[in-house]
Amino acid sequence: MRRVAVTGIGVVSPLGDSAAEIFDAARAGRSAIHRLDVPFARRLVTPLAASVQFNGADHFEPAKLRMLDRVSQFAVVAANRAVADSAGGLAAAERHRAGVFLGTGMGGINTIDDGYQTLYGEQSDRIKPFMILMGMHNAPAAWIGIEHALTGPNLTYSTACSSSAVAIGEAWQRLARGDIDVALAGGAEAPLSLGSLKAWEALRTVASIDEADPSASCKPFAKNRSGMVLGEGAAMVVLESWDRALQRGAVIHGEVIGYGLTTDTGHITRPSVDGQAAAMCAALASASIDASQIDSINAHGTGTIANDGVETAAIKAVFGSRAHNIPISATKALHGHLLGATAALEFVLSLMAMRHAVALPTMHLQSPDPACDLDYVPNQARGGVAIRTMLSNSFAFGGTNAVLAFKAAP
Amino acid sequence: MTATYDWLRATLTREHKLDPEKLLLDAPLEDLGIDSLGMAELLFNVEDEFGIVLPQEPVTLPTLGDVVRFIDDLILAQSGESAPVKPATP
Repeated sequence: MRRVAVTGIGVVSPLGDSAAEIFDAARAGRSAIHRLDVPFARRLVTPLAASVQFNGADHFEPAKLRMLDRVSQFAVVAANRAVADSAGGLAAAERHRAGVFLGTGMGGINTIDDGYQTLYGEQSDRIKPFMILMGMHNAPAAWIGIEHALTGPNLTYSTACSSSAVAIGEAWQRLARGDIDVALAGGAEAPLSLGSLKAWEALRTVASIDEADPSASCKPFAKNRSGMVLGEGAAMVVLESWDRALQRGAVIHGEVIGYGLTTDTGHITRPSVDGQAAAMCAALASASIDASQIDSINAHGTGTIANDGVETAAIKAVFGSRAHNIPISATKALHGHLLGATAALEFVLSLMAMRHAVALPTMHLQSPDPACDLDYVPNQARGGVAIRTMLSNSFAFGGTNAVLAFKAAP
Repeated sequence: MTATYDWLRATLTREHKLDPEKLLLDAPLEDLGIDSLGMAELLFNVEDEFGIVLPQEPVTLPTLGDVVRFIDDLILAQSGESAPVKPATP
């Protein structure tokens, strides 16, 4: 198996548009969650989201922009930033040994929503010509492939909230095996359409508004947590074989060393301690390390009643008594839940946390839940924490548990 | 012919950022960068602009002049009037 380096990072996110910006925001505990002030907000029970300040016209010519759903715009811009950050990561690539691996849960939902509004809301048959091309789940990955002429595998993973962990993990496996030499991997999501927000509300998994401070509405692991808050954006990384990265003198941001994947089959949404624990164990096994070598965990930590207690129990099952000594960060309190893009964004935040020896805070954790009794780094970042090796958890509706294992840059 | 051509020139200049000097009647659409998707979008807008319904069958329209004639023929066939049915709005 070949070693795999992370040599480029690109983000479009509620916390900022670069790895440095999002890390600074997360370290400072600055939440991007806010009251939505869009025209349809009055139709929402909880008009909350972590949205991105983004104007597609700043990035694309009009003729191209008209073919891109917001999710593809995010994906292409994040990928371009990752490629730029890699300083030539794709330049010398044999194109058929370079691939795109992208996770998205809801794909071009804005386009689908608009089309249905035309068809059912306006009772018009004037569906725009590009609805299929904009709405299909593989559009974001396809546009990245076109943009950078990457003719190797171009794969889209849709496993709800673990989509981009799966994308990074599957890319890592192909790189480690030697199937390809370089990959753009990550996720993109733009789920803030009326139809999507109402559908999430209907599922009763979204947080109630904290009236005193709406930006504090998502409270992972807290006793008074009430659910998740949707976010949008994209995070992409350039992954390449370690030797190739060294050969071209690339700046290495970190190393992916393992990936665990399991599936809960007991229920479509209810998380399982066994399934989550098995995914963490699988990630450790694939990295050929044991639990004692993990210095920190980026939790799935959605702030939902169901997830946080189960995840706590799963971490205890894997790490035993040492679980209490591992700093665990749940950054969704700040950037919201980006669904198919969230794992990639949290992966990037974790790489930055390792570089700066900082355990990122789990914000809005004033009321501890007795069932969630681990070290979640509550409310304030912790500096001077040597973090060499981490896990990042992602657990999805549909039961797909994906865990990434990675190391700091040397 | 002139009103339809003017509308097409204005639309392509605006929506595709094309040089109006190059939008000659015998200009091949492919050379202008209007591919099959660009054509699908253009014809969608033609339906809205001229109030006509295009046939579902695929059509081959290699040049700008072919597009103009195709639109004008449809306007004539569907309205019984000569083009334009309504004033072109750039």
